[in-house]
Amino acid sequence: MNEEIVRADGLKKTFTLSKKQQKIERTGDTRRVAVNGLSFSAYRGEIYGLLGPNGAGKTTTLRMLATLIRPDAGDALICGSSIVRDPAKVRDKIGFLTSELKLEGFFTPSYLFNFFGEMHGVPKDVLEVRKQELFSRFGIDKFAEVQVKNLSTGMLQKVSLVISIVHDPEVLIFDEPTNGLDVLTAKVVTDFLTELKGMGKSILLSTHIFSLVEKLCDRVGVLIDGRLAAEGNLEEVARGDLEGSFFDLYHTIKGETV
Amino acid sequence: MKLAALIRKEFHRFFHDPRLIVTMLLPGLLIFALYSILGEVIYTDEQETYEYKAYLMGSSEAVTLIDAAFEGAGSDLEWLPAEDEETARAEVEKGNAAALIVFSENFDAYGEGANVAIYYKMDDDASYQFYALVSAVLTEYGMPFAIVSNPIGEENLGMTVMRSVLPLLLVCFIFSACMSVTLESVAGEKERGTLSTVLVTSVKRSHVALGKVVPLSCISMLGALSSFLGVAFSMPKLMGVSFGFLGSYGFASYALMFLLILSVPPLIVALISVFSTLSRSMKEASAYTSALMIVSMVVSLIASFVPAMGNWALCVPVLNAVVTLQTILDGGVPVWQTFVSMGANVLYTALLVYLMTRLLSSERIMFGK
Ligand SMILES: Nc1ncnc2c1ncn2[C@@H]1O[C@H](COP(=O)(O)OP(=O)(O)OP(=O)(O)O)[C@@H](O)[C@H]1O
Ligand SMILES: [Mg+2]
Repeated sequence: MNEEIVRADGLKKTFTLSKKQQKIERTGDTRRVAVNGLSFSAYRGEIYGLLGPNGAGKTTTLRMLATLIRPDAGDALICGSSIVRDPAKVRDKIGFLTSELKLEGFFTPSYLFNFFGEMHGVPKDVLEVRKQELFSRFGIDKFAEVQVKNLSTGMLQKVSLVISIVHDPEVLIFDEPTNGLDVLTAKVVTDFLTELKGMGKSILLSTHIFSLVEKLCDRVGVLIDGRLAAEGNLEEVARGDLEGSFFDLYHTIKGETV
Repeated sequence: MKLAALIRKEFHRFFHDPRLIVTMLLPGLLIFALYSILGEVIYTDEQETYEYKAYLMGSSEAVTLIDAAFEGAGSDLEWLPAEDEETARAEVEKGNAAALIVFSENFDAYGEGANVAIYYKMDDDASYQFYALVSAVLTEYGMPFAIVSNPIGEENLGMTVMRSVLPLLLVCFIFSACMSVTLESVAGEKERGTLSTVLVTSVKRSHVALGKVVPLSCISMLGALSSFLGVAFSMPKLMGVSFGFLGSYGFASYALMFLLILSVPPLIVALISVFSTLSRSMKEASAYTSALMIVSMVVSLIASFVPAMGNWALCVPVLNAVVTLQTILDGGVPVWQTFVSMGANVLYTALLVYLMTRLLSSERIMFGK
């Protein structure tokens, strides 16, 4: 259980704020340090949760790990490949899913599964076998030829999840996986994550929901203002009360009451 | 191959959507309808068969072919013997004869300098139709001789105007064909977040760019082709000639026109793709695109009415196509101009694809706030 599968080392990301953004956020600063020297490790076969409030830098961190944006400083190794030096390799080793990534409504799950399989360079025969297996395992087979735009939200979520693992990645990265979903669809997602863990996958997720962490995560890193405020097993960090511990940390760092 | 899969996806999307296909084919039908109607209006008695009288000087076996063609078209043709060129031309100008045809001495021997001159009256419908049919027959005769056309008098104004605005119309239709598919496919996908889903995979950014520009260009070319056919089929009507596909233009003119028209869609698709990639929403992208369309229409309009722009115009995208098309419509066969224009357009397209690749790789553009 102790093989490091994700290792972030001093990740840093600073954004230049546009005039519009400065106005929205009521700040005169032209720069915003979203992630500030973040280091952590996630191990094979576990679910690692990045817990943090809005604007803590969760999305930014996960996007750096998914190689969509480049860190200003620091690096991370995913299954031994550097996100800075070898982004294409990293992309084939991870499955990345966020609510911002959408599937084209015109196509069918079956078509998209094949398409994204090809995008990851999965051989055709392997792809067919995987499709059969995953579609029946997650109950998509009956909807395989229905246009995505006609699927129910729950089914769509399942399809997105299945497509994110089309290339059988070692590591799965999910940004706020249950955000904006009703309880039923959220359960589809949490069941899926548990199932994936059972399949031996390593999962990195971000959330601001305490119960999700308590329910799913083996280890957790608390992210506040782009820095890791605490890290460890769920028990170590929560000390019996995750919410309480979080607010204690928050007060010590921000020095203010919520 | 990843690029092939990207290209297949765009085609799949297009060919399974009847609405998109109709949008693409509509311009050609519209041009055809428009020009047919205008042809009817300009040449009110277009469908009537004339009784032609024409002067003939010199002789050639081609005359029998001409006779046969007129008979086939249901018109009567009477050859008048011409005493001398001067009087015959004067008769043509007065409208007493449709035309004067002068075959050179050695015409049927295809010797050096074999040629045939046709004198006809520009603003006389019957005369013009006569000229158009005879030159079509002689072109099909296909032997190495020169046809010297000698229009007498002023050209019919209506036709001049229609011919001047034709390139403008073509640009306009091609632009809208490119616009409808590209905005939807590039700006639409970016706005809906389906483009980023592709960027998460290990596919190269250059392939993503090509995977858009290549298929969308092909699809837009289909639209351009439809417009081209619309023009080709209405040209004879516009010339007041109710027979034949080629009208009075030769095959070479049509080939060059075709090549020119095909070189424009990739350029415009790439241009709109770049602006679509830059934009956050389809609304923003269509604002940019409308501005581009207005610019290229103004450019084409200016080119339509300013004769002899000079060779620099061949390096300006869109303008080069308009200027060269103009030359073709005026009866020229601008071979090297066509190839320079095409080359320039291909070069610009390549540069734009490169630019799009850079934009797709930019995190500020693709994942900025
Ligand atoms: N592309 C960007 N340009 C400018 N500022 C950005 C950009 N992305 C994020 N930020 C800023 O960086 C900070 C961290 O953002 P991030 O989205 O990583 O937070 P988060 O933890 O995911 O929050 P949330 O819970 O709201 O999703 C925020 O203040 C945000 O406004
Ligand atoms: Mg976020």
